[in-house]
Amino acid sequence: MLLLLARLLATLLHLVLVFALAPLLVGVVARLRARLLGRRGPPVTQPYRLLLRLLNKTALVPETSTELYQIWPFAALSAMAGAAMLVPSFSTGMLTAPLADFITLIGLLSLTRAATLLGGLETGFGFGGAGAARELLFSLFAEAALLVVLASFVLIAHAFNINGIATVFASGHVGISVSLGFALVAMLAVALTETGRIPIDNPAGHLEVAMVHEALLLEYSGRYLALFEYAAMLRLMVWMNIIATVFFPFFMARAGEPLTWPVGLGLWGAKLAVMGVVLPVFEVSMAKMRVFRVPEFLGVAILLGVLAGVFLFVAERIGA
Amino acid sequence: MHLRLDALSAIFLLLLLPQTVASAIAGMRRSVAFWAFVLGMVLAVLAGDAFTLIFGFELMSAASWALVLRGDRAPATLYIGIAVFAAACLIPALFLPASSLAFMLILLGAGAKAGLAPLHGWLPRAHPVPEAGVSALMSGGMVKVALYVILRYGFLTFGGAAQPWWGIVLIAAGAASVLLGALRAVLEVELKTMLAWSTVEHVGLIAVGAGIALRAKAMGDPVLAALALQGALLCAVAHALYKPLLFLGAGAVKRATGTSSLDWLGGLMRGCPKLGLLMLAGASGLAAVPLGPGFAPEFLLLHAVIIAAGTGGIFGRIGFTALLALLGLSAALALGAAVRLIGIGFLGRPRTLAAAAAGDVRRPELFSMGLLAVLCVPVALLPGTVLLGLNQAVRLMVPGAIPAPLSYAPLGLAVLLAAAWGAAYGLLRRFGARGVREAPAWNGGFGRPPVWLPFGDPTTQPSATGFAQPVRRALGEAILLRGGDPADALLWQPLFRLQLRLTRGAEYIRRATIRQRLAFVFLALVAFLAALGLEQGG
Repeated sequence: MLLLLARLLATLLHLVLVFALAPLLVGVVARLRARLLGRRGPPVTQPYRLLLRLLNKTALVPETSTELYQIWPFAALSAMAGAAMLVPSFSTGMLTAPLADFITLIGLLSLTRAATLLGGLETGFGFGGAGAARELLFSLFAEAALLVVLASFVLIAHAFNINGIATVFASGHVGISVSLGFALVAMLAVALTETGRIPIDNPAGHLEVAMVHEALLLEYSGRYLALFEYAAMLRLMVWMNIIATVFFPFFMARAGEPLTWPVGLGLWGAKLAVMGVVLPVFEVSMAKMRVFRVPEFLGVAILLGVLAGVFLFVAERIGA
Repeated sequence: MHLRLDALSAIFLLLLLPQTVASAIAGMRRSVAFWAFVLGMVLAVLAGDAFTLIFGFELMSAASWALVLRGDRAPATLYIGIAVFAAACLIPALFLPASSLAFMLILLGAGAKAGLAPLHGWLPRAHPVPEAGVSALMSGGMVKVALYVILRYGFLTFGGAAQPWWGIVLIAAGAASVLLGALRAVLEVELKTMLAWSTVEHVGLIAVGAGIALRAKAMGDPVLAALALQGALLCAVAHALYKPLLFLGAGAVKRATGTSSLDWLGGLMRGCPKLGLLMLAGASGLAAVPLGPGFAPEFLLLHAVIIAAGTGGIFGRIGFTALLALLGLSAALALGAAVRLIGIGFLGRPRTLAAAAAGDVRRPELFSMGLLAVLCVPVALLPGTVLLGLNQAVRLMVPGAIPAPLSYAPLGLAVLLAAAWGAAYGLLRRFGARGVREAPAWNGGFGRPPVWLPFGDPTTQPSATGFAQPVRRALGEAILLRGGDPADALLWQPLFRLQLRLTRGAEYIRRATIRQRLAFVFLALVAFLAALGLEQGG
């Protein structure tokens, strides 16, 4: 009973932290990126202000949209929020853990993408359509790479559940393997694509023709845009949590043991901080790619995923 | 005539029922050929001996040929050609003893009828031709009957002689179908052709699941075999519900607007909201997104492929990892096809006056589509319960298998998503501004269209072709080999050239002069004697 209560508390704490800190994470990344480019940059609380401002504005609905215009932002946000609830942050063994199969997670990310694409096609204007077509192109290779990488995790951990994978990896029996190194690089490429960062897409872009994710949201305004923006902030948080949980699960707290929480929380904060620094450094040192270069970029990720599987096989055979 | 009902045939019989009822309601109930078609399928599924199976199978082919012929002549000819080929492979196979040759003949015959690559070319040409009700039953039912024959013979009748490589052949054919079907479904502009290509994809998915199960069973791994078979059977069940739904919807679109080309539609959600929502339900199955009917089978199949990657040697590892990449690519392509169907056809602005003036779906079609959509709900939200029904057949086909419960719980997921949805809605009501204002779309600052174009210039909209252009550029030319179908370029054209060359050779011999003929006979004699001499060791 007490155990259940502790797990419930851990889950609630996870929900509060993830949902509250997602905009802050985006703000920190934007601020650091501006600093690295020699500008002062917006304050780290800017994303909260953006959401508040959008909430208070009247939503303009285009004349050419259908009744479903207001549905897509809710669908996109709730699917992404579902993913955020499932991916562990500071502790394993939350109440949502039994649902957190990795393939369900991929499905939820697909659902968010479908809702966003439909939102982009909703009004029937060119920018939304072009953005949707490009987003679709990227998703093809990203999903393939993600599944290939997932195969390596599952074959090492013998679990499909992200919580189970984290538990096995945290136990330290796995050690540092070449396969996981390849898998990490492939996973980072997928994460950059899915979160729409440079070199795939520019989150700070202002030219409609060059945008992918922003082009989809071009006809949304007011509170509906706020939902989409918040979903995008959650997406960065979810991907950072996935990478932190799978690749760096060491000393993660266990939900049933509240005494381990402080260490887990501290480490989680540290992991987010490191990734929040690495991401802008990587972004300012890269140029944005042409749209048709992206399949090659992700093709390398697929190849690395396959190599990870092969190395894993070799390692099993030689008993390393 | 001998009939038999066991767990496997019961599943396929039940899976024929809703789509038959729906097609009959939607306007096929007066057609004799339609009922002959249904009777043929039922006989083939219930067959207890080879004669009944062949009789039902050929009745199904002949009746559906008559129905296709009513639509168009050329695809009907192609269709009957394939049906004759299938019969020519099946009939000898049924009377052969259990052996690899017999199973390969079954695979060729029933695979051609199911639209497995490389014998899939007829399916997207023939399926869209007849009326929507027949197309629905052909895509949802007929290909399943052909797959049923493969399952019955691979696992039960020939089960004792099964080899692991039977499964690998089935997986390879299925994987090629999945990729081709998914890719062409994204590129196709005509609604029913697009759905037919997507049927090729789903047939491939079922074949991949069945192939993994066949291989695992032959290698003595009943757990994996049960998992893969669950995925294949659940995929068959789900596909038998949402694909007929989409085909009936395509028929309704054609009736409402006079066209089923996506490039001539647009904004149908405004004029026909009921049709639009039903199509959205079907498209959620097509896209295999969570909480839709198509996700649970995809989930099981991906689990099975990942586990299979851990079996076998290095080639098994690489092969199944590549298969996984291919399935991921195809899943994303299927999502793209579903988004394109809804986003281009039903959202946005009308591209023609006919699309702008479309009225909603008529009552019989509404009932038939509604029936299928309602039946999709248990598959979508309670797949674990549906699997309990399928497990009988799994145990029959893989003796000793203990089918595992499903680790995907849509109800719990639905609760989480509903909570998030409710919280977002509540927060917007509490803290957000109220009300909305209608305004011209911003469109990056472009001006309003002139008054004589009430929905704007249709050419400024993303078209179905344009939406697929990046995919075509990145993948189309590499995979489809210019002609649009690698089976054409790699199989049919070489065969055609070979036939041409043989004909020319025969013609040359026929037209030879008497001296040349004598020379042929002389040469043949010399060759014969030389062979004889060599054999005797001289």
